[in-house]
Amino acid sequence: MAAGLALGVVSIAGAQDWKSKSPTAADWSAMAKLPDFGGVWEAGRAPTAAPAAPRGGAAAPAAGRAGGAAAPAGRAGGGAGRAGGAAAGPQLTPPYAAKRQELASRGAEDNDSANCLPPGMPGIMGQPYPMEFLLTPGKVTIVIEAYTQVRHIYTDGRPLPSDPDPKFFGTSVGKWDGDTLVVETVGFSPITQLAANTPHSDKMRITERFRLTGPDVMTIDTTVNDAEALTAPWTSSRTLIRHRDWTISEYICEENNRNYVDAAGKAGVKLDK
Amino acid sequence: MVRRISRRVTAVAVAALLSGTAASVSAHHSFAVFDLTSQKSIEGTVKKVDWTNPHVWVWVDVPTTGGGTETYGFEGMSPNFLARRGWSRTTLQTGMKVTVQYRPLKDGKPGGMLVSAKLPTGLLLTGGGAQQGQ
Repeated sequence: MAAGLALGVVSIAGAQDWKSKSPTAADWSAMAKLPDFGGVWEAGRAPTAAPAAPRGGAAAPAAGRAGGAAAPAGRAGGGAGRAGGAAAGPQLTPPYAAKRQELASRGAEDNDSANCLPPGMPGIMGQPYPMEFLLTPGKVTIVIEAYTQVRHIYTDGRPLPSDPDPKFFGTSVGKWDGDTLVVETVGFSPITQLAANTPHSDKMRITERFRLTGPDVMTIDTTVNDAEALTAPWTSSRTLIRHRDWTISEYICEENNRNYVDAAGKAGVKLDK
Repeated sequence: MVRRISRRVTAVAVAALLSGTAASVSAHHSFAVFDLTSQKSIEGTVKKVDWTNPHVWVWVDVPTTGGGTETYGFEGMSPNFLARRGWSRTTLQTGMKVTVQYRPLKDGKPGGMLVSAKLPTGLLLTGGGAQQGQ
């Protein structure tokens, strides 16, 4: 009884450990020194019309490295990198390879994305829809058009939680390493997958490095660490292109979703009204 | 002219981008219900356009041999994606004649995945948006 009460108190205290503070004028001024991540971005390659395509060394957005497809695919993604892409699929440890095989053997024709369930991390970062980066003191917010979602990345110095509740996007903190935003994320829902039929463990930790590699080109290097599920960190890279004339639109998947997959994994489509 | 070329380049780039994996074309479901090995063509009249997420649906009345019509349903890309590539909410309207190329539903019901809808004006509507035909 006493222990339970004590745990409850600890838990409540834990949730309130970090208090954000009101930004000062200096905090706002400091924002001007950060790289310009603002605006709407979509996976893709650099515009062919650009007179000088940005060259980020090996990370140049050359043909075959078109953003989304070479990135860690979510459950809606195929998982296969494009030809010439850097991304190999995640290499699973024997127990997780067995899990993947078991899931695949069920022969489901589709996954719950057909029922409008969002993919979560890391798949949500590889959708064929744009995202917008909002930089404010102590926080980077990523507005994701697909499924009308938001990632919250705290850059105010708070630590990652030691025992986070599992979430589709996990819990993220970030810091600036020069002009690179380094984001660490932990605590993922077991519902999310690395790729089709590919589970992760509760030890999964994702590191993302966001940086500008051209005036309107952003490169995101993603490393998935999961000592329980992966034999080695799974790294991949993707390119986003900024579209200055775009705005983020809404995406309410339930608006008129005629696709579905049932509990037995049978996919279908509703043609009736 | 420049604009036209630019649009064509964009369409090609989009097509290239989306060719990586079939699943990446669609943010939210696979293509399990469609027969991707088959492509059919029909002509008809647009009955209705659902300019809605997660995917556009184009309903087309197709004449039957008995003198009536049968309504086909075609699933396209999302309006968000298409609107940025020249295919807007008002591009395709009720009453317009269209020729539709599609991947049929495996279960034989009237409809499928929209590959393209071509208007008499030559305008071609695909998963990559709108392109003026030759």
